[in-house]
Amino acid sequence: MPFYLYFLRRLLFVIPTLLGITLVAFIIARAVPADPINANLPQSALNDERIIAAFRQKWGLDKPPHEQYLTYMANLLQGDMGVSIKTRKPILDDIRQFLPATIELATFGIVLGVLMGVGFGVVSAVWRNSLVDYFVRVFALVGVSFPVFLLALLGLSVLYAQLGLVAGPGRLSITLRPPPTVTGLFTIDSLLAGQWRTFSDAISHLILPSLVLGSYVSGVIARITRSSLLEVMGMDYVRTARAKGLRERVVIRKHALANALIPVVTVIGLSYGSLLSGAVLTESIFAWPGIGRYMFRASTSQDFPAIMGVSLLIAAIYVGVNFVVDLLYYFLDPRIRLA
Amino acid sequence: MTSSTISLTRASGWRDRLGDTRRTLLRNPLVLIGLVVAGIWLVIGLVGYRIAPNDPLQQDVRARLQPPSESFRFGTDELGRDVFSRVLHGARITIPAGIAVIIIGSTLGTLIGALAGYLGGLWDEILMRLSELFMAFPTIILAMAITAALGPDIRNAILALVIVWWPSYARLIRGLVLEIKTKEYVEGARMVGATDAYILFRTVLPNCVSPAIVLATLDIGNAILTFAGLSFLGLGPDPSSPEWGRMVSIGIDFFDQWWMWLYPGLSIASLVLAFNFIGDGLRDIFDPRTKK
Repeated sequence: MPFYLYFLRRLLFVIPTLLGITLVAFIIARAVPADPINANLPQSALNDERIIAAFRQKWGLDKPPHEQYLTYMANLLQGDMGVSIKTRKPILDDIRQFLPATIELATFGIVLGVLMGVGFGVVSAVWRNSLVDYFVRVFALVGVSFPVFLLALLGLSVLYAQLGLVAGPGRLSITLRPPPTVTGLFTIDSLLAGQWRTFSDAISHLILPSLVLGSYVSGVIARITRSSLLEVMGMDYVRTARAKGLRERVVIRKHALANALIPVVTVIGLSYGSLLSGAVLTESIFAWPGIGRYMFRASTSQDFPAIMGVSLLIAAIYVGVNFVVDLLYYFLDPRIRLA
Repeated sequence: MTSSTISLTRASGWRDRLGDTRRTLLRNPLVLIGLVVAGIWLVIGLVGYRIAPNDPLQQDVRARLQPPSESFRFGTDELGRDVFSRVLHGARITIPAGIAVIIIGSTLGTLIGALAGYLGGLWDEILMRLSELFMAFPTIILAMAITAALGPDIRNAILALVIVWWPSYARLIRGLVLEIKTKEYVEGARMVGATDAYILFRTVLPNCVSPAIVLATLDIGNAILTFAGLSFLGLGPDPSSPEWGRMVSIGIDFFDQWWMWLYPGLSIASLVLAFNFIGDGLRDIFDPRTKK
């Protein structure tokens, strides 16, 4: 199957899912709260008849539900997710401001998580039932069992407060100014501007929160890498490779790993969701000015429109990442190309 | 969650395996540790509030922010409340909440999955598409949105988690029902004139119970973790409540008073780790891929 056909077919599956999440978000936003006006407008606006009338008009609250949904979709497609009660700004503006910080953190987190997870998983499978294997399996369980907020606090108190190995909360030290905005990612922007000190400072601030985020992901990935590699190593073609007299390292690297990593890619896509969820908890502790902390603040101050906006965005990112994973399959798994 | 779901549906012959299960489980040291720790926490959940030295809500401004000592084993918080007593009382909130989510969520998911698999056709299509919608959201994000819409309190947090939790059970059970309903003994029951309800509840569903229980065991740590996360975000019980996640989130503002966040945090971690040790042992037995 040529790539464009595969792409279109996958895309056909994504569209109903995206429509579905908007439907779920619409139901939660408009139908579940006892009074959507109460939930979406700040306390001070509730006495003002005009504001309430305008809100009702804009979201079509006096019309039947299916028309309300169409209004909701029409507003959404214009980028209108409502106005935050707390910041008093359109949700989309807030998201635009906070998203780059989260993307930077999530990217570092997933890279660390994948490196640690795949590394540990391979080591654990190759030396199966050894002490190393045992250690890795316990580590993986700890990674998925410890609440991210506890890992974050432990990391801060040991690696930052006690040992001073990494920078503390925030994206940059207060003595430094953010680099001129190009992408919004401090590491890339500081490189573009040639500010080396800012670059190393930004990296130092990234290490701890991305380790915390990566630890959960690495636990999941280590586990699936281990079981997938063990399964592949029991296959006939691996036995054949060994029988040919290939060295064990070549067998694992060239023959086993390539196939064992296919399911791992799926798990990486699925882990991205938990990474974004984990970001809500991690960013709030590290004072990381991303959408996670935005959502944390929204939820502690009952900023309902902001919670709904970010939920919708995160769900859409999640669907998008899984779409990309599906596309990657085309290149990783030759069976799809030949089908 | 997904990988275990898939492998569970593949496995068959549950009855034969359950016999070996107990022996294999008890030979695994991690499972033993998990059973002991989870057992201790369950006992604390049942009777802990009676042995708590102090009232978990009793404030004492003169004794605020005291480090762990003879009189306050885990120190005191910003209002002078005894952290040790609060942790003991907290076991009565977090553990039942997690278990409730699993029990209600798995029951609901089992019923929906059984109906989808048994009725087939349009019903199957509708129910399965519905479950996919809920799975398109990352767990805690959807739970946050639902709790925020319903209004934050402990019952709504549990309800939100149930709404997030049922789809994985529905999908597992549907797969099993599809397989079981073609079996000869189901045909037999139909031929002697059994009603659909009888066939579904007396011949099909009993065969789905053990896989659902295995999935529930694998899942319970996760449910507790997510509940504590919601509570950490202020979407669970009210702020004064000695819920562990909530205690940690208040403790962040008192970072140097480490006892305020470390003890409730470690309580969550040890409990979840214990359940995951047990779950991991079960997974080893039921996952055909890790068999020798």
